[in-house]
Amino acid sequence: MERHQLILYKILAVAALLSLWEVLPRFGIVDPLFIPSLSGVISTIYEMTSSGELGKHTLVSLVRALSGLLAALVVGLPLGLLLGGWFPRVQTATEPLMELFAQANPVILAHIIIFFLGIGQTAKVFIIAWLCIWPITFSTIAGIRNVDPTLVKAARSLGLGRFRLFLVVVLPSAAGSIFTGLRLAAGYAYIMLVASEMMGASSGLGFLVVQSQESYNITRIFAGASVITLLAVVTDQLLKLVEKRLSFREENDADDYVRMRQAVLGPAA
Amino acid sequence: MNRNIDTFQYLLLRWSGVMVFLVLWEIAPRLEWIDPYFVPPLSVVLGSIGELFREGVLISHLLISLWRGLLGLLVAIVFGIPIGLLLGWRFPLAAEVLNPILRVLSQVNPFSLLPIFILCFGIGETAKIAVVGWVSLWPVIFYTVTAVRGVEPVQVKSARAFGISESDLLVHVLLPASLPLILVGVRIGAGLTFYILVAAEMLGASAGLGWLVHNSAMNYQIPRIYAGATFIVLLGYLLNRGLLWAEKTLFDWRETISGLVRDQAPADVKPWITPRFAAAALAGLVVLIVVAGSVEVYRANLQGGEVMPAGGHSRHVGQAVGE
Repeated sequence: MERHQLILYKILAVAALLSLWEVLPRFGIVDPLFIPSLSGVISTIYEMTSSGELGKHTLVSLVRALSGLLAALVVGLPLGLLLGGWFPRVQTATEPLMELFAQANPVILAHIIIFFLGIGQTAKVFIIAWLCIWPITFSTIAGIRNVDPTLVKAARSLGLGRFRLFLVVVLPSAAGSIFTGLRLAAGYAYIMLVASEMMGASSGLGFLVVQSQESYNITRIFAGASVITLLAVVTDQLLKLVEKRLSFREENDADDYVRMRQAVLGPAA
Repeated sequence: MNRNIDTFQYLLLRWSGVMVFLVLWEIAPRLEWIDPYFVPPLSVVLGSIGELFREGVLISHLLISLWRGLLGLLVAIVFGIPIGLLLGWRFPLAAEVLNPILRVLSQVNPFSLLPIFILCFGIGETAKIAVVGWVSLWPVIFYTVTAVRGVEPVQVKSARAFGISESDLLVHVLLPASLPLILVGVRIGAGLTFYILVAAEMLGASAGLGWLVHNSAMNYQIPRIYAGATFIVLLGYLLNRGLLWAEKTLFDWRETISGLVRDQAPADVKPWITPRFAAAALAGLVVLIVVAGSVEVYRANLQGGEVMPAGGHSRHVGQAVGE
């Protein structure tokens, strides 16, 4: 199969799906009350964009999601590096605790978090960050643990110092794993964003969806959901792109799946 | 890596973090380092869990949550594995072509789908099960496709050389070889499911563990919030560990066939239960939860008819708190 032919097929498949979305509700094969046609959704998105409403909500949500993700990265990455790279005993001692924390659903904790942080922006960012920290930390630890010992030994015998060794050998080998965790965390960030905005907010895309649900405006729900999906996909693709530019080795499916489970379930999985 | 430390010492070290945390949780509120009104000490929370148990409330909500989660997962398995098998084995080109669409669909936010499902299916059980099913469907499909593609060609070729029929090939070669990885997909789906389910129950339900926590928060029964949350965390941990254990027990042959999953069970650890027994026990547990859960859900919906909160309930209360 030629490469460009495959791309053509992919585009055709997407086009077919989109036209189904347009045609089925239009001819009443599915109830347009439940699934509005594509053109309806697009024109709603257009209206909401030109009134500035959509832009405002999107910006608010984007800021929340990205600050949550950034906070998780700032805490999770050094935590993972320290635990995985320098203090393996401490890592052993804290691993079950971290696994338990990773199970602590921030939506459940929301009521407790509100006691301490109030109901404002901080609480939402914290809720998002809490869920995102664990995949990043876990996959960083796993990535460092899985660095090929031969590489480390070779570098040592070439006389690399600890810091240089870390920077030149360990970090690049662990980069793939770290990025898997980061991409997973980005996905979580958007899931939690909407959940936290549904629980109590006056702006943001999650708020938009709930508000539209209460007024039974399905087209607006679809518009909001489409924008959220688009944001999530774009973020994921961007991270993938960065990963590709940074990564030093061939991508391979098997590794990816092992890394995925470590990111989700803890470095021991 | 800890061969030189003996097992007890290792376990002590491993769990020391949790123990320190628990001790701090008990001491800090007692010594008023943090306000005991907002963070009740561990013993109070444990007492509250015991109280919920004795009232029979906890078991009932637990069953309802498990029932919803399990049915959603079963829906995902029933749809996901055949789709994955078809795509990965029969139509690899279609799998390649449809990949972008599937990836985008898997990114669709379950919480933004919840209102759509509620409008389509009503606020009853179907909407929640549909959300859970949707969330866990994607890992199951993706892992099934990868698993089938990863089956050793030698095995398929030698089976073909013995003149195996296509259906026998599927049942006796492809499925057993790919099951371990499929179960990883199910496990990831199950983990995610639990998050989403409990959250969905907080946003609009009249029963379930999520509702229990939410309701306690609305009534300012703070120890009960912690009790519910602690219980949910423990449950999630046990679920995770249980599935990991099931995976190891059921598929102790897999190192020999799959290059995908490496050095899982150490060779010296012999499972003390046969795979067949474990499978039977697992199946029995599933049936038990489905049956007992149905009864419990039926009862809860009978009682809860008049107290059913509306979909946006929690948001209003949240705003009221904020003002």
